[in-house]
Amino acid sequence: MLDISKLLEEIKASPYEELVITAPHTGVVSFGSIKVGDRVIGATGTWGEIPGTPLATLQRERNDKIIRATQKGVVEKIHTELEGTFVEAGTELVRLRHFLSKDEVLGIILKKALYLFEAPERAKYYFAPDIDSKIKSSGSQSVTVHDGMELFIMSRMKREAPLNYSGPDGVIYAVYFQHNENIDSGAPLIGVCPPDQLSLIEDVVVRVQTEWTEQE
Amino acid sequence: MQNTNHKVLVANRGEIAIRIMQACQKLGLGFVCVYTAEDSASGHVRMAKEHGGEKSLYRVSSYQDANELLAVADESGATAIHPGYGFFAEDYRFARRVTQRENKLIFIGPSWRIIRELGDKINTKRLARSLEVPTVPGSDRPVYDELEAEKIARQLFEFQEEQGIRRPMVLVKASAGGGGMGIEEVYDIDLFKSVYRRIRSYSLRQFSDEGVLIEQRIKDFNHLEVQIVSDRTGKNPVHFGTRNCSIQSTGLQKRLEIAPGFDPSSINYTFDAQKVLDDITEYSLAMARKVGYDNVGTWEWIVTRDGRPFLMEVNTRIQVENGVSAMISRVNGKAGVDLIAEQIRVGLGEPLGYSQENITFDGVGIEYRLIAENPEMKFTPWVGRIEDFGWDKHDWLQMHSHVPTDVAYDIPTEFDPNLALAIIWGKDLSEVKVHGKEFLNELRLTGQNQGGESLKSNVNFLRTKTDEILKF
Amino acid sequence: MDTEKRTQHLTERLTYIKDIFGDKQQENIRLLETKLEEFIQRENGLSVEDKFAALSTLEDLFGFVERNLENELTAMDKVRIVRHSQRICLRDILENVYDNYTEIGGKDENSIDPSMLIARAYITRRSGKRVYHQPVMVIGQEKGHGEEFRNGGSVKPWGNAKALHYMRVAETENIPVHTFVFTPGSFPVEDAPGAAQQIAKNLYEMAALSVPVVAVFSEGGSGGAEAIGLADSRLMLSHGYYSVISPEGAAAIEGRVRGGDRAGAELVEKCAHQLKITADDNVRMGYIDHKIQEPALGARPYHYEFFRSLRQEVIRATDEVVLNVKGFSPFRAMALRRRKGKSIEDLDLENIHVRWSLSRKARARLIAKRHAKFNKLSKSAFIDRRPIHRRVAAWFVEKGWDTYSYFKYDLWRSHQKKLMYAVEEVDAEARVLMDKVKGPWKKITKAIPANTSKADKEKELTMLSQWDEEDQGKGQWSYISPRAKEDRAITCPNAETHGCQDLWAPDLFGEYAGVCNSCGHHFPMEYQWYMHNIFDPGSIFEFNTEVESANPLGFEGFDLKLEQAKNKTGLKSSCTTFEARINNVKVVVATLIAPFRGGTVGAAEGEKFVQAAERAKKKRFPFISYVHGTAGIRIQEGVNGVIQMPRCTMAVRRYIDAGGLYLVLYDTNSYAGPLASFLGCSPYQFAIRSSNIGFAGPGVIKETTGMDIPPDYHRAQKALSRGHIQGIWDRRDARHNLSQALMTMGGRNLYYR
Ligand SMILES: [Zn+2]
Repeated sequence: MLDISKLLEEIKASPYEELVITAPHTGVVSFGSIKVGDRVIGATGTWGEIPGTPLATLQRERNDKIIRATQKGVVEKIHTELEGTFVEAGTELVRLRHFLSKDEVLGIILKKALYLFEAPERAKYYFAPDIDSKIKSSGSQSVTVHDGMELFIMSRMKREAPLNYSGPDGVIYAVYFQHNENIDSGAPLIGVCPPDQLSLIEDVVVRVQTEWTEQE
Repeated sequence: MQNTNHKVLVANRGEIAIRIMQACQKLGLGFVCVYTAEDSASGHVRMAKEHGGEKSLYRVSSYQDANELLAVADESGATAIHPGYGFFAEDYRFARRVTQRENKLIFIGPSWRIIRELGDKINTKRLARSLEVPTVPGSDRPVYDELEAEKIARQLFEFQEEQGIRRPMVLVKASAGGGGMGIEEVYDIDLFKSVYRRIRSYSLRQFSDEGVLIEQRIKDFNHLEVQIVSDRTGKNPVHFGTRNCSIQSTGLQKRLEIAPGFDPSSINYTFDAQKVLDDITEYSLAMARKVGYDNVGTWEWIVTRDGRPFLMEVNTRIQVENGVSAMISRVNGKAGVDLIAEQIRVGLGEPLGYSQENITFDGVGIEYRLIAENPEMKFTPWVGRIEDFGWDKHDWLQMHSHVPTDVAYDIPTEFDPNLALAIIWGKDLSEVKVHGKEFLNELRLTGQNQGGESLKSNVNFLRTKTDEILKF
Repeated sequence: MDTEKRTQHLTERLTYIKDIFGDKQQENIRLLETKLEEFIQRENGLSVEDKFAALSTLEDLFGFVERNLENELTAMDKVRIVRHSQRICLRDILENVYDNYTEIGGKDENSIDPSMLIARAYITRRSGKRVYHQPVMVIGQEKGHGEEFRNGGSVKPWGNAKALHYMRVAETENIPVHTFVFTPGSFPVEDAPGAAQQIAKNLYEMAALSVPVVAVFSEGGSGGAEAIGLADSRLMLSHGYYSVISPEGAAAIEGRVRGGDRAGAELVEKCAHQLKITADDNVRMGYIDHKIQEPALGARPYHYEFFRSLRQEVIRATDEVVLNVKGFSPFRAMALRRRKGKSIEDLDLENIHVRWSLSRKARARLIAKRHAKFNKLSKSAFIDRRPIHRRVAAWFVEKGWDTYSYFKYDLWRSHQKKLMYAVEEVDAEARVLMDKVKGPWKKITKAIPANTSKADKEKELTMLSQWDEEDQGKGQWSYISPRAKEDRAITCPNAETHGCQDLWAPDLFGEYAGVCNSCGHHFPMEYQWYMHNIFDPGSIFEFNTEVESANPLGFEGFDLKLEQAKNKTGLKSSCTTFEARINNVKVVVATLIAPFRGGTVGAAEGEKFVQAAERAKKKRFPFISYVHGTAGIRIQEGVNGVIQMPRCTMAVRRYIDAGGLYLVLYDTNSYAGPLASFLGCSPYQFAIRSSNIGFAGPGVIKETTGMDIPPDYHRAQKALSRGHIQGIWDRRDARHNLSQALMTMGGRNLYYR
């Protein structure tokens, strides 16, 4: 059995993590008005429709792209020495100290509670087309998986291969990969909740909701 | 090179990036390289670090994002872009953007209009048909409609039956694809629909286009190519001979290429092989003249056992196997032809400076593509760390590789697991075979992956196939 | 009444006055307050008679002050009157105006929509010794003196659907409809059937409802009012308002207020005045036929006299409508006529009997009259620069077309059809015969392998078609957006979710036609793109270019804004009407162009639309509304704009009833009035993928309903899921799809069929 209390205590002991914001691509960077110590937030609103705090602007091919905070936190370091210069992709721009939110804590605990189906190889993964459309329209939890089901497309070295799910039957409770992103071998792709575990999972959700107070 | 006041952005990676940098060095031109985080150990990065000057190496988010390349070009002061092969090599929109943006750059490749016209297989087919150049039977426009697709497939099956083909087969391929990806064979009309749908959804995912081509696959054939080079006038194309690329992996990927395309001097063919070679070079040149082709390009041909050639497609780029043609070519009697350098030279606007009479051929060349893959398992790529990689030097051998020979190297999963191109020369067919085997026997190539499995490569496959080259 | 009740009543009257005037009229209010206070203070010490006397004095004082204040009422005060919970509501009217009634489909909150009230009622009249019960269908918004579940008379789409349903019932039963407009506006939710789409349906059906409709306006809030306001006779209570938008809404737009902020009271007051929303304004402009006088400071439930006069007014209005379309009834008609110096009470309406059911012919006349009535409206609210002789000539040309169309399409066609039918029959017979004869021969020929077939097949498979110039033109559009000339990259809004790379503007706005090549996101394009890429090149012939938008209300500062819009766009109104061809099929097109004042619709736009529909009808061309974008009715034109909703919808109705095909194509953002009328009523509405379609924008929804709506609430996909539109098109396929639509959809009288 999963000791949720212990896990929560562990997380409470170090409730933040450091977030490094890097340039998603090349371009000329400018930092606008943010200062060290500023509080920033990620996207908010019921549908995440209100964008997060702007951290920097990256101009490439006359196109200004605003780089925004994706999480709540405090600005720890700004690489102001880069202001107005052309930076390479992946250059560190800003560092944030980020306090774990309820969702993240939930994510951490769920990862321990759910059955994780892992990437067999480093590759890009996609859901099979029919599954993909189902998830897009009604969410991942609408999909029930069973052993041997053709669930993914694994794309590697421009070759695509179907990948079957193996593990207990259940619904897809969490998706851990993103479009066009390379997943290392052994990293989880999805978290599956078997029907008999559903009450346990719901318990985890409730516990985190009530016991975790988000820090400002 | 008269005007060396140029800086070339190498918009590619690996072996071709190195070849382009070498050619630039040879021509006295500056260059700038790009790489992605995954590729930071690649030889091309190392070469740029060692031999590039100021502003010659940039990390980008992707090789396939035009915005990245152009931003780097502007930042580094590049004046021209060499796309290599793959990536943007045959993207007419990229070529158009390069040449039409405010800070105009030279696209080292054919003009964008030519890339557009010939990049469209259908259009090429129609152009060919207008010049009475034979093309493979099948659809001559992308098919979007399932019923239409099925009708064409049915027609092709009937046609082959009438031709007396015992096991007729139809090829279904993504209209926007190329290079052997997104192609499937269908032997049974009843299975056609499901294959068609699979290719269509593959095409939609990869190219955002649902267009599918349905063609007859001529089963028993040789795959030949004609290497064309022309300068910016587009008026005086020359050819650098033919190549035979018939030895392919099960995924229809080329594995070794031989120049010239046939060898009637040592092998007896059931047809007039010399005439076929002459015909396809003539057809290719005719088409190049018609469209005003103005850089390097390859005309790909299928030659059937009865000696009938069909044009398959035109590749409006330098190809992987350019080196093997260069190996047997002589300009004004001189060896050491470098087609990439020629491409850059004419690309930057220099006149070609010679004509067909100045080009002669000597001997036979083989190009081996050394790839970490398992030929026994449908050529599945092998991913892992290369621990030892080396070869003995010979005057009949050229090696092109981005894989370092002095340190271990992790094969990135983003790209094809090509390790090196080995180009072998011999004064005739028998000598080149001997040289080839000698090279393969001396080659050192070992490594391991995370699971402790030792490196798989296609060396044995290449060795076995060496015996069969140019036979039909 | 005992003193306690009378005191209570006076307190309520005082509260009412305070509510209406707010900070204004402090002196009068204080006077009444002190006097009432004084009375309450000394009440206990007074004898009953003294109490009565004091109360009567006090009541007289209240009456006196109220009559004085009546003259001070501003437009905004009237808005407050109408919104006050003490104002009469529909149930008061049902109780007091009609002789008996049964509420249909609801009791209090147990109703599909408690803000829409339907009742079967009757009015009893005597003629000689006979007694007549005259049934009517009463339909109206119920504000219920502030009962929360009534939603302030803000009707949900299904409430309007219910109203329409019972109008149809009235039609079946051949009884008049009395509608009572008590709404601040419709509840702006998109849930099926959708606020806008349902109002459009109501208007479309009311345009040809074949029973008399009398509407009484108390609170006429824009689209919500129109849902039941299209009537043969439109009456208005003297303290009501009828407006394109709430004064607060207008002020928010005028003052460019954003988010949860509110415009200042002064600006609101000013807007209320400028919008010309009172009964007098609307009677003067012709949008209301007759004003019904209310008691000072507006009718409240205890004004029994008022209900009597309201009863007389609705009876007279119904009688008038009926008599105007009945055959011969001059005496009764004369008796009804309004004369100077005669009040309605002088008429002995209760004792005149007019049958309210109509014959088939009278029903047709009724509808024709209704159309004529609305068609006349707002004719002076725009600028028409066509010289007189051209207007006359145009009139003749149109008449000429009538005759021409008749000969060309009706007379000739009916003969042609007969002929075609005969030919088809003979042909079919012949075929059967030939098959019988040829049958055996076919079998033989099939058995012999044709020697030409193989070569033919090879030719077909290797020489399918030729490389020609036509192929060079692919990816080329006749019109290229000016944005395609900028050397810059553009980020697709879906980049994060779909991994789209930045697009180069010349590619995106040129070859890609504004469509992301990775995810298919449609960036908005200029209207010219459609003009040049949908219709056959060079086929566009514009007409009525001289009809110009004006500032009919003299709205402050609007002349300048209008001038700027005209200069910026080079257009004279947001509506361009033209004839064009699509694959050689001639069509009439009316567009709403977003860059001209947000594509808003005022009198000029409405007139152009109506004329375009008429032209399409006369010429028997398909009629296409291409909506590049519209933000709604132009608020600065007030009711001159709103009235275009019924006007244009009626034009559409005439066109469709005449056998035409009316297609609507939405492009960018289409909202509010136009959607809730002449656009939403089309049976064939399509949207380019870039479209947002809805009744009210997110800000307005938040303000009126308090609901947060998801960002994709108005996207075309949602509209399709809700059944509001019939399909979504890729911009690049618009021409092909439109051409296809013309060939496959609607309209029995189109010339090309
Ligand atoms: Zn996109």
